[in-house]
Amino acid sequence: MRNLLNFLARYNNLIIFLFLEGIAFYLLSTRNNYHNTRLVNSVRIMTHGIEKKINSTKSYLSLHQINANLAAENVALKNSIAKLVRRESSLFFSVNDSIYKQQYLHTSAEVIENSINRQRNFFTINKGENQGIKVDMAVITANSVAGKIVGCSKNYSVAMSLLNLDFKLSARIKSNGYFGSLSWDGRDYHYAILSEIPQHVLVNVGDTIETTGYSAIFPEGEIVGTVSDYEKFGGDFYKITILLMTDFKKLHFVDVIGNMKKTEQLQLEKLFQ
Amino acid sequence: MINSVLRFGLIFILLILLQVLLFNNIQFSGYVNPYVYIMFILLLPIEIPSWLLLLLSFGTGLIIDFFSGSIGMHTSATVLAGFVRPYVLRIVSPRDGYESGSDPSMLIYGFRWFFSYTLLIVLVHHTALFYLEVFRFADFFRTMLRVLLSSLFSITFILLIEFYRRGK
Repeated sequence: MRNLLNFLARYNNLIIFLFLEGIAFYLLSTRNNYHNTRLVNSVRIMTHGIEKKINSTKSYLSLHQINANLAAENVALKNSIAKLVRRESSLFFSVNDSIYKQQYLHTSAEVIENSINRQRNFFTINKGENQGIKVDMAVITANSVAGKIVGCSKNYSVAMSLLNLDFKLSARIKSNGYFGSLSWDGRDYHYAILSEIPQHVLVNVGDTIETTGYSAIFPEGEIVGTVSDYEKFGGDFYKITILLMTDFKKLHFVDVIGNMKKTEQLQLEKLFQ
Repeated sequence: MINSVLRFGLIFILLILLQVLLFNNIQFSGYVNPYVYIMFILLLPIEIPSWLLLLLSFGTGLIIDFFSGSIGMHTSATVLAGFVRPYVLRIVSPRDGYESGSDPSMLIYGFRWFFSYTLLIVLVHHTALFYLEVFRFADFFRTMLRVLLSSLFSITFILLIEFYRRGK
């Protein structure tokens, strides 16, 4: 017994150290995306106040840029309205019942917390379950891919950024339709890697890369970026470096896209797996 | 006693705010992420009992984790830094030992002592932190570059803050 007490007294530092490291590693080991984001989500509610202040300061500083973006978006929307108006004012037109046609539902949101300097980046947006946001919805900004929702609280959601080693996206070359898997390699927030494109495919620098819509998360045809470089990788495939169109450092207003027919698609696909 | 608790409480709050409000928002690139909050561990009195040092390290790391949404990462790195601190103090100890009841400050032990003390602890902390973040040994040297560049900036900022403290 005395030996034991002596032992404890002698190594108490080491024991406390190992105990605390144990707790830390336990917390760390739940870094499995979903658990992690859930934990982070509940914790972030506590730190939201401060993050909001930081964000409002930042958004004040970038008002000019935001105004320009909004103006550009306005023009695009006005153009699309103009097209619709002309169709309706013509003498004959067919009534288009759109209830069963709408597949994607857009919700706009503001990014209130974002990072680009880690290996697994997440960002937080100011809408949550109460506004109809659900896990696995797509997040885009001005028609280019930004991330996907991985956790929701009542009024906030956490999205996994494209700049996350765990983020995988099915993307294709627009000009010829060959698709591969897109992911971030953790180096530069301007570039991502498109792999699994076979070597007989013609690839050119500057080719547009867009989403495929196979995953039922992202709609088809959202732009990811352009080819900036490619090299042969292994025996059969290219390793293509993509210049991302989204500037993650300026991520501010985003659209969250829900696929209303996702359950239907997934259920059907399940039958054949 | 109360006085020093208040003083370190103030230093603690200031460093956390500095880290969360300023340095976490620099996001210069993936390669430069200064973590100056580790300075709190550096500044604690030399004769602090090591269990208290470890607990304080744990708390500091946990709070930073809360604010950066990376549960466990900063905690484990900071606890490690708190654990190695007594050994580092022994390695860099000046020839005639430490004065009893003193703080590890540049004013008392000089620039060279403070620099090597900071260098060792920041390197330990950042190495643990960045390798835990990547959590794999692929890209070993790139992670090392991140460790070195970030350490360089952290140490620079810590020395600047210490100079400022000295000036007062």
